[in-house]
Amino acid sequence: MCVLCGQDFVAQVHWTDRHLEDRAREAAPGSDPVALQGDRRRDRAHRVALTNEILRHYGLKLDDWGGSKYFLRDGKGRSELVQDLGSLWPAAERLAGRTLDPLEPALLGETLGEEPAFVAADGG
Amino acid sequence: MAGGRSTRPVTIVTGFLGSGKTTLLGRVLSEPSMSNTAVLVNEFGEVGLDHHLLRRVDERAVLLGGGCVCCTTREDLVEALLELLDLDQRGEIPRLDRVVVETTGLADPAPILHTIFADPVLQHHFSVDLVLTTVDAINGDLHLDRNPESVKQVAAADKIVVTKTDVAEPNAVRSLLCRLGAINPSAHVLEAAFGETDAAELFRLDGAGYRAVPKAFDGEPHDAGETHSVSLTFDGSVDWTAFGIWLSMLLYARGEDVLRVKGLLDVGESGPVVVNGVQHTIHPPEHLNRWPEENHHSRIVFIARGIRPEELLGSLEAFRGLLGARPLPLGAEQSVPSS
Repeated sequence: MCVLCGQDFVAQVHWTDRHLEDRAREAAPGSDPVALQGDRRRDRAHRVALTNEILRHYGLKLDDWGGSKYFLRDGKGRSELVQDLGSLWPAAERLAGRTLDPLEPALLGETLGEEPAFVAADGG
Repeated sequence: MAGGRSTRPVTIVTGFLGSGKTTLLGRVLSEPSMSNTAVLVNEFGEVGLDHHLLRRVDERAVLLGGGCVCCTTREDLVEALLELLDLDQRGEIPRLDRVVVETTGLADPAPILHTIFADPVLQHHFSVDLVLTTVDAINGDLHLDRNPESVKQVAAADKIVVTKTDVAEPNAVRSLLCRLGAINPSAHVLEAAFGETDAAELFRLDGAGYRAVPKAFDGEPHDAGETHSVSLTFDGSVDWTAFGIWLSMLLYARGEDVLRVKGLLDVGESGPVVVNGVQHTIHPPEHLNRWPEENHHSRIVFIARGIRPEELLGSLEAFRGLLGARPLPLGAEQSVPSS
C-alpha cells in the first residue's frame, strides 16, 4: 500500500477491468488524462448500477468507493470493501449467507434491468 | 510488450496417458522451424525427446485460498519460464519464438493457464496462444468414458490431434470425431497417423487459436449425459460490462463445472471482444479493431458439466435487460456422455 495516498498496488488486474487498463496503456503520449479518467468513472458507475440490479435480490448494495474500490453493504449495516468483481462475489456470499448463482431459479423468475412495461407499450 | 516485441507465445500440449503427446512433439521438434522453441516437460517418457531447449519441470502446485484445483499456481512452471525469460533477455539463447509445455497425462490444463495469467511477471511476457490436446483413436472413447480429466482436456482444446488413426478402425475414428465435435464444437480437429503432422499446421492459429470463431455443432445429437455444450448468439450488441458481471458471477458460483467458454462478442464497437476461458481462468479479453469474418454477430460456446443448455440460456434470458440483447441458440443443442 502506498503510504502517501493509501491506495493498494494492484499486481493483478481482474479480467473485467482489463479493457480500461489496455485503453490507458494504448493512449497516445500527450492524450488527455482527464478524458481517460472520465471514461473510467463512467464505466465504474455503469457497473455499479448494473450490479445493484442483481444484488438487490439478496438485500445487498454496492457503491463506488473513491474510484478505486467498491463498498458492499447489507441491510444490517455490515459491509466489506472489494477491489473488483473477482472479490465482489465471495464478499457478497459472506454477507448474504449463500452463493449468488445466476442460474438460480429464483433469480431467473424475474427479468433483471428490464424497462417498465408501460414504456414498451408506449413504444409499440 | 516485452523487450520491444509482443509476448512470447506458449502452447500447452495435453492429452491422456499414451495418447501420443511425446511422439507428436518428437516429430514436430525435429523440424528446423522449431529450433527456437523451448520445451517444458513433466517427465522424460520412453520416447526420448532430443532438443537443445528441453527442460524438465517437477510439478509443484500451490493451492490457493478456496481450494479450487483450476486456480492452482504451478511454481515449477513459474521458475522455468522466468529462467527462459532471463536467458532470452540476456541473449544467452537464440531469440525465443515459442514455449511448448507438455503436461502429464492426468493433468488438468487449467492450472497452467492460471499460472501464466496470474503471475505478475509472466503475464507481461508470455501468452497462451493455443491448447493442443492429443486423443488416441483406439483408446480415446474409453478415456472419455472413464476419466473426467480426459473430458476436461478435450474441452480446454483449441486444436485436437487424433493420433493412431492408421491402426484404428475407420468407423471407430468417425464415431470418435463426432463425439469430440459434440464435446468441444469450437476446437479444430486434425488427424495424425504415425505421429506425422506438419509443425506449421499444428501451431498455425488461423481458424483455431484463441481468437478463432467458434462454430456450432452440426453432428448427430448424442444421448443425454453430464457434459453439455451450447453455441449461442445474441439478437444485438451486448453490453460488455453486463456480460462481465454475469460471467464473473457464473464462474464464481459454478466455475468448476464450466469447462470452457469461447467466443467473439459483438459489444457495439468496430470489432468484437474475444472471450476465452477454462473453468475459473479467463484469458485477458481482447477488444479487436475489426471482425475476422464477414459475419459480425456474436458467437459463443459454453461447455459445462452438470449444467443444462436451457439453464444457461434461461439465465442469459433473465439478464437480457442488463445485457441489452436476447440470447439465441445456434445449431443443435447437444450433450455427450461422460461416463
